[in-house]
Amino acid sequence: MKSFPKAVKRPDKFTTTPATQIWYESPSKQNPYLAEDTRCYGYSILELADQCSFTQMLFLLLTGELPSAEEEKLLNTFLVGFANPGPRQPATRAAMYAGVGKTDPSHILPISFAIASGEFGGGKEVELAMRFLRKNARKKPQDIAKSIIENNLAPHEGDWHPVPGFGSKYGDIDIMAQKLAKLLVNRSGSGKILAWGEAFASELKHANIGWLMSGIAAATFADLGFPPRAAAGLFQIACAPGLLAHGVEMANKPVTAMPFVEESDYVIENI
Amino acid sequence: MSLKTSDTSFWDQRRNKIRSRKGGYRIGEDVYLHGNSLLGDLIYNASYMQVVVLNATGKYPSKAFTQWLESLFIALSWPDPRIWCNHMGALAGTTRSSVIAATTMGVLAADSRFYGIGTVIVQGVSFIQDAMERHQKGDAVKDIVYDNCKLGKPYIMGYARPLASGDERVEAMIKIADSLGFEQGEHMKLAFQIHDILQDEFNESININGYLSAFFSDQGYTPIEVCNILSCLVASGVTGCYVEESDKPGESFLPMRCDDIEYTGPAPRSLGK
Repeated sequence: MKSFPKAVKRPDKFTTTPATQIWYESPSKQNPYLAEDTRCYGYSILELADQCSFTQMLFLLLTGELPSAEEEKLLNTFLVGFANPGPRQPATRAAMYAGVGKTDPSHILPISFAIASGEFGGGKEVELAMRFLRKNARKKPQDIAKSIIENNLAPHEGDWHPVPGFGSKYGDIDIMAQKLAKLLVNRSGSGKILAWGEAFASELKHANIGWLMSGIAAATFADLGFPPRAAAGLFQIACAPGLLAHGVEMANKPVTAMPFVEESDYVIENI
Repeated sequence: MSLKTSDTSFWDQRRNKIRSRKGGYRIGEDVYLHGNSLLGDLIYNASYMQVVVLNATGKYPSKAFTQWLESLFIALSWPDPRIWCNHMGALAGTTRSSVIAATTMGVLAADSRFYGIGTVIVQGVSFIQDAMERHQKGDAVKDIVYDNCKLGKPYIMGYARPLASGDERVEAMIKIADSLGFEQGEHMKLAFQIHDILQDEFNESININGYLSAFFSDQGYTPIEVCNILSCLVASGVTGCYVEESDKPGESFLPMRCDDIEYTGPAPRSLGK
């Protein structure tokens, strides 16, 4: 039999004190496990709680600085616009089925967040769209649009996302997404990426594709200076209020309050 | 003004309707899985692992293969909370989250680019299958290895591992495969040739991912199929770590003092409003 070397521990030195620039907790003199002062990027949490909005706090946590008035307005517009994906969207449906199925309510958000994490309309697509936008924003939107339409074939069935963040929704341009994009593009805090995305979406119109919600989220995050690695989580945070509300709304209802496909409409193909 | 009428037939055909190639429940009749009767046949004649593979891939594997697979699950069921996915189980135990939250979140943590099931195993299986294709076209094994080196170090999914050099799980799994009568397939032979080069020239070796990637490839599975089969591979170890901590006083797992965190951010400042 083949011989293998005995496993030997590598000499990696793991820290015993994780480092963070985000949060400081000053230990109490009586009990070093308790904090007597807590600071976020240097600001007292009590001062922040007293004077700041949740939107400002979110921006501070992700960037290390408080937003300007324009940045706060843009992020707040985004957070409200994305606060509820709506009851037809898969992550919300997961929340609703968790609710009606009497899943422990503490699991509604973890479940629906996982469903909101995918590459097709979810957090992963937002991250990928952010990378696409950052990579292409210095190029002409009409050139990129032309190349994408010429070099990609729409699938025979279902929706087409030729690049992350842009495509079709139920076979057409997503009407509400274009309206929300326009609102954000016209905010004074919006920047080059949202503007590029708007021009790009306009170039895609003749192929019957345009902004997707994931693309709008990505462009907004890019203009606000958030890193792509935060994109999926920020998208999930934005959707959280609606996911939770729809899940909780179902939690006291009978199980019949959500569809259970009829026997005649459940076709098993190979028996 | 002309109104466009969109073609929504694809979605209309699917409203309130499910067509399943997998199977499902026929009330009062049976449950079907890829044409097999779950309660009339599989429950009596199949192993649980055969059903796992059938659900994940649509393929009905031999019992010998699923005995090997069960051993693989055992080899990955470490109740050591220092391992990253297991840590989730311990933290869930210490905060009295439910065992289901603990286990599923541990499994989710293993969807990792560093260790675990998602990216790592897909890339491990893809690597050995791509390497086999190159080798069959005439590329030398050494060239395949060196093409996957950066700055003089090999970066090949399935070889070397965090924490330790060498991987004792590989030898154990080889013994299991031998005892079940499996011959060494072409992917495994290639994997061991890669291992030998890495051993001789970089003091690194094949790890459990490299081994299982070659074994699954020799059995004809694709990278995605392997990922689907192994999606819950680490679950049992996570549960063990949860149970250990849920029996102890709350928040007593590796408690941290304030000064156990090193603050590197800005000095205290005021909002100045």
